[in-house]
Formats: sequence, structure tokens, C-alpha cells
Amino acid sequence: MMASPISCSSRHSPDELPGDPSSQEDEDCDYEDRVSYSGSYSSASSDYDEVEPEWLDSVQKNGELFYLELSEDEEESLLPETPTVNHVRFSENEIIIEEDDYKEGKKYEPKLKRFTKILKTKSLLPKRYNKKNRNDNELVSILKHQSNQKTGVVVQQRYKDVNVYVNPKKLTVTKAKEQLKLLEVLVGIIHQSKWSWKKSGKQGSGERLVVHGLLPGGSAMKSGQILIGDVLLAVNDVDVTSENIERVLSCIPGPMQVKLTFENTYAVKKETTQPRQKKAQSNTNDLVKLLWGEEVEGIQQNILNTPHIVMYLTLQLDSETSKEEQEILYHCPVSDASQKLKSVRGIFLTLCDMLENVTGTQVTSSSLLLNGKQIHVAYWKESDKLLLIGLPAEEVPLPQLRNMIGDVAQTLKFMYGSLDSLFFQRALQPAKLHSSASPSARQYDASSAVLLDGLPGVRWLTLPQEIKMELDTALSDLEAADFAELSEDYYDMRRLYTILGSSLFYKGYLICSHLPKDDLIDIAVYCRHYGLLPLAAKQRIGQLVIWREVFPRHHLQPSADSNTEVFREPEGRYFLLIVGLKYYMLCVLLEAGGCASKAVGNPGPDCIYVDQVKTTLHQLEGIDCHINERLTSSPSPCLSCADWFLTGSHEKLDNLTTSPILSRLPGTSKVATSPTCRRILFGDYSLKTRKPSPSRSSGGSDNGCEGGEGVGLSPHAIPNAVWKQRESQGSDGSEESGALLKVTKKKATLPNPFHLGNLKKDLSEKELEIYNTMKLTSGPENTLFHYVALETVQGIFITPTHEEVAQLSGSIHPQLIKNFHQCCLSIRAVFQQTLVEEKKKALNRGDHSGSTNSISSLNPVKEYGVLFECSPEKWTDQRKAPPVMAYWVVGRLFLHPKLQELYVCFHDSVTEIAIEMAFKLFFGLTL
Amino acid sequence: MGEEGTKGTVHLLCLAASSGVPLFCRSSRGGAPARQQLPFSVIGSLNGVHMFGQNLEVQLRSARTEDTTVVWKSFHDSITLIVLSSEEGTSELRLERLLQMVFGAMVLLVGLEELTNIRNVERLKKELRASYRLIDSFLGDSELIGDLTQCVDCVVPPEGSLLQEALSGFAEAAGTAFGSLVVSGRVVAATESWWRLGTPEAVLLPWLVGSLPPQAARDYPVYLPHGSPTVPHRLLTLTLLPGLELCLLCGPRPPLSQLDPQLLDRWWQPVLDPLRACVPLGPRALPAGFPLHMDILGLLLLHLELKRCLFTVEPSADQEPSPEHRRRLLRAFYTLVTASHFPPEPGSPEEKVEDAAQRSQVPRACYLVSGPEEPGTGWRLVALQSGPRRLLLLSAQSPTHALRGLATHTLHALTPLL
Repeated sequence: MMASPISCSSRHSPDELPGDPSSQEDEDCDYEDRVSYSGSYSSASSDYDEVEPEWLDSVQKNGELFYLELSEDEEESLLPETPTVNHVRFSENEIIIEEDDYKEGKKYEPKLKRFTKILKTKSLLPKRYNKKNRNDNELVSILKHQSNQKTGVVVQQRYKDVNVYVNPKKLTVTKAKEQLKLLEVLVGIIHQSKWSWKKSGKQGSGERLVVHGLLPGGSAMKSGQILIGDVLLAVNDVDVTSENIERVLSCIPGPMQVKLTFENTYAVKKETTQPRQKKAQSNTNDLVKLLWGEEVEGIQQNILNTPHIVMYLTLQLDSETSKEEQEILYHCPVSDASQKLKSVRGIFLTLCDMLENVTGTQVTSSSLLLNGKQIHVAYWKESDKLLLIGLPAEEVPLPQLRNMIGDVAQTLKFMYGSLDSLFFQRALQPAKLHSSASPSARQYDASSAVLLDGLPGVRWLTLPQEIKMELDTALSDLEAADFAELSEDYYDMRRLYTILGSSLFYKGYLICSHLPKDDLIDIAVYCRHYGLLPLAAKQRIGQLVIWREVFPRHHLQPSADSNTEVFREPEGRYFLLIVGLKYYMLCVLLEAGGCASKAVGNPGPDCIYVDQVKTTLHQLEGIDCHINERLTSSPSPCLSCADWFLTGSHEKLDNLTTSPILSRLPGTSKVATSPTCRRILFGDYSLKTRKPSPSRSSGGSDNGCEGGEGVGLSPHAIPNAVWKQRESQGSDGSEESGALLKVTKKKATLPNPFHLGNLKKDLSEKELEIYNTMKLTSGPENTLFHYVALETVQGIFITPTHEEVAQLSGSIHPQLIKNFHQCCLSIRAVFQQTLVEEKKKALNRGDHSGSTNSISSLNPVKEYGVLFECSPEKWTDQRKAPPVMAYWVVGRLFLHPKLQELYVCFHDSVTEIAIEMAFKLFFGLTL
Repeated sequence: MGEEGTKGTVHLLCLAASSGVPLFCRSSRGGAPARQQLPFSVIGSLNGVHMFGQNLEVQLRSARTEDTTVVWKSFHDSITLIVLSSEEGTSELRLERLLQMVFGAMVLLVGLEELTNIRNVERLKKELRASYRLIDSFLGDSELIGDLTQCVDCVVPPEGSLLQEALSGFAEAAGTAFGSLVVSGRVVAATESWWRLGTPEAVLLPWLVGSLPPQAARDYPVYLPHGSPTVPHRLLTLTLLPGLELCLLCGPRPPLSQLDPQLLDRWWQPVLDPLRACVPLGPRALPAGFPLHMDILGLLLLHLELKRCLFTVEPSADQEPSPEHRRRLLRAFYTLVTASHFPPEPGSPEEKVEDAAQRSQVPRACYLVSGPEEPGTGWRLVALQSGPRRLLLLSAQSPTHALRGLATHTLHALTPLL
């Protein structure tokens, strides 16, 4: 047992059972003392395998764990149709029904299983927390350390929770004559007992409840998540067998939601027959439903109708066994639309083979026309296997698809070491094929996903310095792995794992990271594909524990340098531990081997490490109000809404409060928007005189208005006082920001200098501050609409938060944002091409042959801008032409001193010299 | 197959769709025709994948490797054209348009009937040889850009109205409505009816004239891919001055002999000086002394409704980069902005299937800065769309923020010309 000194047991003697609910409160207070037990309760698990609670079982035989529990609020919101909610708590032998507590927000979840108590550390459920918000008490998972390694076929199991609505009142007429009748009538699950039901004295010896059929119209069928062959394990977290199911179900007092926990045998079977394909299609499907809620159902229906496909094919065909479809290792989905794509896989195989022979480079993508729809297929070849993703062009433009397949392959490699053991989550598809009929935040999400998902970076939230410090300290403490008497040192053992680094996410934003870039990106992409980041952003996670062995490219790359002096990565194994609590998610990368002890077999999550991570999260709980404040407070740099720049926009007045600049200048925005003005503005540009801003812009607009009707006020028309005031403020601001920039430059990461001291300032002061410091564009108006800054060295990008974007709602703005992202995608495709060329050049530098033939392409591209014009969609006034607003989308690639990409979107009226300024400012910020 | 050897090559394959028999293969390398050919097995499998898909109602359109793009296109279920290009900066848009032009050229010289109803493959092969010259000119580096833009390359003569008058009078006297003056493949002046020719032939006819070896007079049978794909017309060309040819498109009458020297003299002697001034115009496109800003190294002006374009890389010819490089830059930039931002030209509905819904956000201008990091180096390209006109400029020195002003200014100056 050297390797698992603190493995946790799952069963303990009954005298530790909390006898009744009243004693549970007390238990909460003294589990501190019980922590020490955990060491001594080593693996008694095998004795009680059959009756383990479901969350213990979540640890799979290969040591992996994906345990997710939504918070109660969330579970309810997912099932809003519940008329009256009764919360039922089951314990092993008795069922307690509690009513009426709901209204006070007091809820009892089936949280307390006896052994959870023992293993909880103080950090899991601090008293303060427990008393204040009982509401948030969640199930605490017990993590079983799988001490007995099973060899042979690796079986991947998954458990799923399905919430179904049951109404026992309907059944009053029906008399339960047969056994298991309730299961059938109430839930709609048909189970046929093989043997006549007999009561067995021993606990847990009842027959497993295999779903043999589903009753048409029953809640089980309606849920769509219960499949024939699943095994019902628990009802509202009470283990059920054929023995006690009736009893448990009969205790349901009235109409309510019941959580059913199933073991997914389908996946198990499939994987045992084809052990090579480690994938969990159906499982992830359920997971998806869990993550996305009910909307997914409708979306999935849509998805099935759009032709798309994911295939994993082997290129080595065994011609002897001419089995049908033998080359397909994996294929998803199974729908009519994608069937066609599957049937033409010969094309993909041939192309892959032939084009490589002819051109010497690997095939990357191809386009097909199917039923009048263009479909792009991206290829990813690895040794003799070929991964294919095909999606309709109108949903996913080609550059995005290419990024996507790269990401998928990266994730798969991260998870399995190579593509050979493949699995696929759908998580990436629906997010993209999302219908846009949803709230603005969603829309922003969907539109930005086009670009942002492809970026090699993580969304970063700049935080005030003190908070940053606190986070850093907390993470450093964790990484030090000094767990006092809980640590292995205490027991004089070799350490199990070294913590390589950790990164902390809040609501899907990275707020602190101590991981190298490659690892960070690997983890971020993993989280993205599992939909964890949006989950943390929108739904409060009750609890999330993920544990799996991973294969980070950064550590596993063979060192290019053969020099023995150079540091070499130890030949260790790597494990990823993700713990989520509420909005927080902490990802920790652990190394076994190296200076820690070698991992043997497939170790499961070690509860001490999990607990320590949780402690860290709890420590940080106090900060989250500050982070929230940052999320909702006015951003830096501050943004404008496109609609404000359209004359005749009625929302303008409402929005002015958030735009202190505009509120003082109601007329200015008109100037550059009138079409007549624009034209002359173009023509009268003096080519050689480049006056400094802002006189240049005003000069231009004056010229424009000579020919026009003088549609708007030029900036000169602003009352002088205001003008001067602003100017002085502006200069103050720049001084201040300059100073602050200096201060913060030393930091490796991105503090927001502008929020250092002003978190508590009153509103007006704050507004002033914002105006002074956050405006990146010059000239009287703030003309910045949106931005994305990608810093590839750190692997992060900065972009306005959802809240910021939500504040700027309007009719045009969402379209603008969407267009911005799509445009950036194509700009980025050009940049990527440049980067490829640069890399080639760097490689060829020795034999300098490539320089001559580069003349035919535009590379290297360093800046790329597109000017768009837009007008309101519904323009009712027939007599007047709709107002037009013009804006730039500009992307810039910085190769030196380090690789950075910046994309900004701003109004046309900005003087071009200011663009340079904006770039520079960003540059300074990101340093 | 040699891997290194394929760099920068374009292979064009033409096959009979039903039988899969190759009708011809043309290759070019580094802009010049090359003999290097793809092995037969590769040709077979390239055609095979496409056919396989078609049998299953899946139409394979294109495939890309890291440096090569392949585009398939079949015409009238009878001819399959495949192009495989590893030229740098190649794009599907360019290749698709190339295939359209190639098929147009085949129809122009052989007629649609022969191509859709193949009775004798060997005879067709022989007949198609006549089109090699024209097709090769599409594959190689050309001074023209009509193959890519699908607009007629034009030049602006100094005294256009005089030439126009003479041309109309001459065409009338010769008994045809279709007449044009062509200098090195670019149209100097044309009659109303000539301008109304459909898309492929309007570009193809001057291109054909430019690609043929110089002769004093020709009587050339042509099919019009758009207007009259099955009934041949006669293309009569008369060399007025070296490099300057008069083209007439007519039916069986008049015979070439009828266009005697007297008729020519009567109409063209009075405008001999303007004609002379046209001859060197070819690559310059703009009349001498036209005020262009000195920063401009090359320009492409398109009129999307008239389907005409002006393309020149002559300004400041003494500066870097070479004209060839400038042409390539402008071509690449045109392809980029057309494929990714600007709406396609009217009349090419098959391209750009994507985001028709996006149209409420209309792109107006576009710029690109390329080259190394150091300031003052590299190229700047700017595109501007205004009404039916689209202007693309190549510039070396202009700072980024002046690009749009430069483009706007230039477009205004050029507007009266096209």
C-alpha cells in the first residue's frame, strides 16, 4: 500500500451512521476530528462493491473520474415545470419527506451519506458556509482510491443522472398488484425480473435493475436520456435494487422531480467489444444534456438534419478480411444526413493517400457539395490513422474548421497520448450549430465562438493588483503541497505527486495561472470541449471533480537538444485534476514520477489532493465579490455601442448613462454618418497633410459638411468649456495611466492599472476615471467597439466580458460583434498563413532557397483591415435613406518581440493615426 | 513522384467525363509552360474520386494540402476539368475561375456540340490542340487579369471618342455590329454591341487575339460560349499598326477580301495619330501624363457592371518590386478580398455560397500591410469599393492611415475613365 497511504474507504461500520437528520448538523461540526480517520480507513471497498453509493462509483476502473453535480438552483431551473416541489431525502433505511421548506429557500438535498462525513475535511464544508447558506450545501463526493488494479480490458463506465417528473397521484386508481409495478407506471421503466422476487436478508443483494423497456409516453421515455440496457442504480441518491425499488418509489408523496442514476451499460458493452475505441458517445450525449439543459434536445434535432460527420479511419486495410466498413474505427453521428458523408469516405481515403503522394504534403481539407450545401471536410492524419470532421460551410467557415480539428486532435492527444485511442465529444458541434434565437449573452457567445474557440489562448480577466496577489498566494500555497499532517511527509512516505502548476478560472475566465503556456492551452481546450467553461460561467456548479491521466505535449515532447546538461523532463506520468465549486474552477496538473513516487497502474484521484484544492477554492470564496465587481464594472478600455453612432437611434438616450463621453456630446456622432458627408469626406482627404488628431478628424468632417447640408455638429460646436475640461482630463489621464503602466509593467501578467484604487470610489468619480483612462481612441468620442488581444506567449487573450457586451445592447451592435468575429477569423487565417511561411523561412534559413519564390504571395502580412458599413435592418421611413455607420475591423500581427495578435473594431471617424496609438497602448498593456 | 519538383507547378487535366479518357493535360511551372506531366495513375485516381462521389450524389469540389489546391469541375456532364496547383498563394477562387475560362476557351474554338457529344475521342483530342495556346496563356503569367476578374482588360486611349467614331463607322461599312480595337490583348475601343457580348467571350476574344502569333489579317472561326455555343461565327482581324489589331465579329458575310485597303484607309487614315498613341498603351493602360500619385506602384480598377477593368503596374516602373512581382501581389490581393470580403461580382452566382445573410454589414474598404517588421519596408495594398467600381492599389511608402485617402482620391480621378 505504499502508493496509496490515504486511500479512502467507502464503507464503514454502521455505528458511524448519522442516525437521524437532527444529528447531521452536529456531524458537520465535528467532522474535523474525523479527518484523521481517512488515513486509517484503507480500502475496504472491495467488500462492498455492490452497494457503493453512485458517486463513489464514478471513479472508473482506469482511475478516471468525471463527476459533476449542478447546484440546486440550477437543477431546478433545468426543470422549471415542477408544480410543487417536495424534496425527498432518502437514507438507507428510512425515507424522510420534507415539505414546505422550499419557500424559505431551505432545502435538503440527499447530501449526507454516512461515510461522506468521515472524509470531509473542514475545508469542504466550513461551518460558516454551512450555516449561512444551507441552500448551497451540496453533495460531497467521495473519491475512491482504486487500490486493486484490474488488468485486461479497460472498461470505461459512466454514470448518468436523469431527472424525471413523476406524479403518483395519477396512479391512485391503479393498484400495485405486481411487483415492480410502480417502476413501470410511475417512471415508465419496464424491468422484467428473471427470478421471482424474493427478499433476501442481506443488504444490497437484490437484482440489478436493468431497463428492459420503456413505457410509451412514460416520463422515462420523455426524458430521452434513458436507454434500454441501462441499469438503475439510485433514486434520489438512494441505492436501489429490485428489492427495495418499490418501497423507495412508494414513498414519493406527490408530483415531483426525481433523480434517477443509471449505469450506462451500453457504453460498457461497446467498449468491451471494441476496446480500441475508447469513446463515450452516448455518455457524452448525456453529459451534454446535463451541461446544456433542455434546449439541447431541440438543437440536437436540428443538428441531426444538417449533414455533418466525424470519422476516424484507419489507412491500413487488411485486405484479407473484407469485412464491411472495417476501416471505420469510429463514426458519429448516425443520421441520414451524415450517412451520405460516411458512404463517400472512399473519397477521403483516396485523397489522403494520393495527394500526399503527388504533392508531398498532407491533405488538410476538401469541399463537397451535398444536396446543394457546401460541406468542408478537414483532415488530420496521424501515423496510419485519419481523423475527419465534416461540417456545412455556412455554419462553420473553413478556417474555423481547420482550427477546430487541430484543437480536437490536440485534446485527444492530451487525453490519450495519441490519436490511436480516440474518442470524440460532440461538445464542439452544437455550440457552433447553435441557433441564435437566444439572449444576447448567448448570442455574443455563439458569434464569438467562431473566432475565440480557435485562438490558442484562454480568456483572461484583468484583475486589480491586490486580488491578483491574493490569488497568486493561494495558488502558490497549494502548489507548495505542504499539507501538514495530511501530507505524505507526515507519514514519511514518498510524495505521490508533484504539483506542476495550477490555473484558476472564474466564470469561465482565467484569472490566475501558474502553468506554462502549452499546458494551459491543453487544459483550456480540454475544458472547452467538455463545455466546462460555459458551465462555470452560466450555471453554478454544485461540485465538479475531474481526474484523468493526461499527456501534455509540453512535457512529453522529446527534447530536441541532445545535450545532457540540459534539463530533461522526467519520464513521469501526468494527471489532471479539475475541481469546480460554484463559479470557480481550479485545474491542477500533477506529475507522478520524477521526484514524486512513480504511479502504478491507473491510480484514481487521491482525496487529499482533491481536498486541498477544494480548500484553496474555499479560501478564495471571499474574493469573488471583487471579481464580480470587476466583471460588471466598466471595462478598460471602455467600449461604445454601434447604435449610438446611428442617427435616429432611439435607444441612444437610454444608453447614455454608460457612456459619459457621449452624454456630453449628443450631436457629434452624427457627423461622420451621413452618406453625403462621407463621400466628400473621402474626396477631400488631403493626401499629404497629416494633421495631428483631433483637428484632423474635425477638419475632415467640416469639409464634408460644406457639400452636405450640415447634418450634424462638428466637434467644434461643442461648448468650449466642456471641450477644455475634457482636454485637461485627458492629459491627466494619460499621465496617470503612464505612471500606472510603469508600475505594472514588472508583473508578468495583466493587471488592470485603472482599478487599483478605485474599486470603492463613488460612481461619479469612477465614471470620470473611466473616461480619463480607458479611452484608447483619440478624438472627442470613444469609438472603440470591440477588441480581442491575443498574447501567445502566455497563452491568453483579452476581450470584453459578457457583461460589458450585454451593457451595450442595441439592434446593430450584436450584428457588428458577429461580423467582427467572422472577419477576424478570415484575417487570422491570413496571419496563420504568414506564420507558416515564417516558420518555413526559419527552417530554410540555412540553405536560403525559399526567398525567391515568395514573391507570388502576400506574405508576410502584418496588418489587415476591413471597413464595413451597416445600417439598421428595419428602416421604416421610406423618404429618407437609412443612416449608415461605418466601422473598421483591423487585425495586427506582432512577431517581435513576441508573438501577439490584436483585433480591434472601431468607428470610421477615428483618425487613422489614433489606430497606431491604440495598438501601442494595447501593446503596453499586454506587456 | 518528386516532392520538391512540384513546387510552383500547375497541372490542368481535361477528361471525358463518361469514359475517363484524358483529352489533354497542360502544365506550367513558375509561370511558363512545362512538359512535366502527372503520371497516368494519378490522373486516373483524381478523376476516380470525383466520379465516385458523383455516383453517390456528392459533388467533390476541391481539396487542399498544405501547399497544393485541387479543384474539380465538370461541365455539361461531359467534360471534367481538374486543376492541381502548388503555386504559392493559390486559391480556390482563382482555380475555379481558371477552369471556367479554360472550358470557355475550349468551346470558343471547338464548339459546344463537339464537347457534349463526344463521338470520336481521338478526333476531339486533335481539335482541342488548337486551344492549347490559349489555355497555356491562362496557366502562365499573363500581363492581363481578365482570367481572374472575368472583366475585359481595357486601356484608356488619349482620344477615345475619335477612335470610337472611326470604329463604329468602319463596322457599319463592313456590315457588322461587332467591332473592336485591341492592343496586346486589351480593348482600346469597341462598338456598343461588342461590349454587350456575354461574359466568357468578351474576355476570351481579345485574349485570343493577343495570344495568336502576329499576322496581317485573319479569318478565324469561333463559337461564342455564351451567345452562340453551337453556331460558329467568324472573327476577322486586321493589323492596323504593329500590335494594334482591328477585330470584327461577323456571320458568313463579308468575306475578308471585301475589307480592302481603300476601306481601311478611308476610316483609319484620319485617326492615324491617335492610333499610334495607342500602341505603347498596352501595359500602361492609362494615357501618358495621367496624374497618379507617386506612391502608387500598381492599380486595378474594376467596373463590375460594365465588366471592364484597368490593370497596370507601370507607374514608377524604376522602383522595386518588379512588374511581375507587382502583378502577382495585386492578383493575390484581388483573390483574397474577393474570396473573403467583397460580394462577388454580379454574374457569378455560383461562387461564394457563404453568408448571404451577412449582407447588412457591407464591406467598403480593405487594406493589408505586408512585409518585414521594420517601418518603411514592405507593401501596402488597399481595396476600395464604391458603387459599381472597385479599386485596388499597390503602394510601397504610404503610411497605413493615408491609404484610404489615397485610394479615394485615385478612384475619383479615375472615375471619368471607366
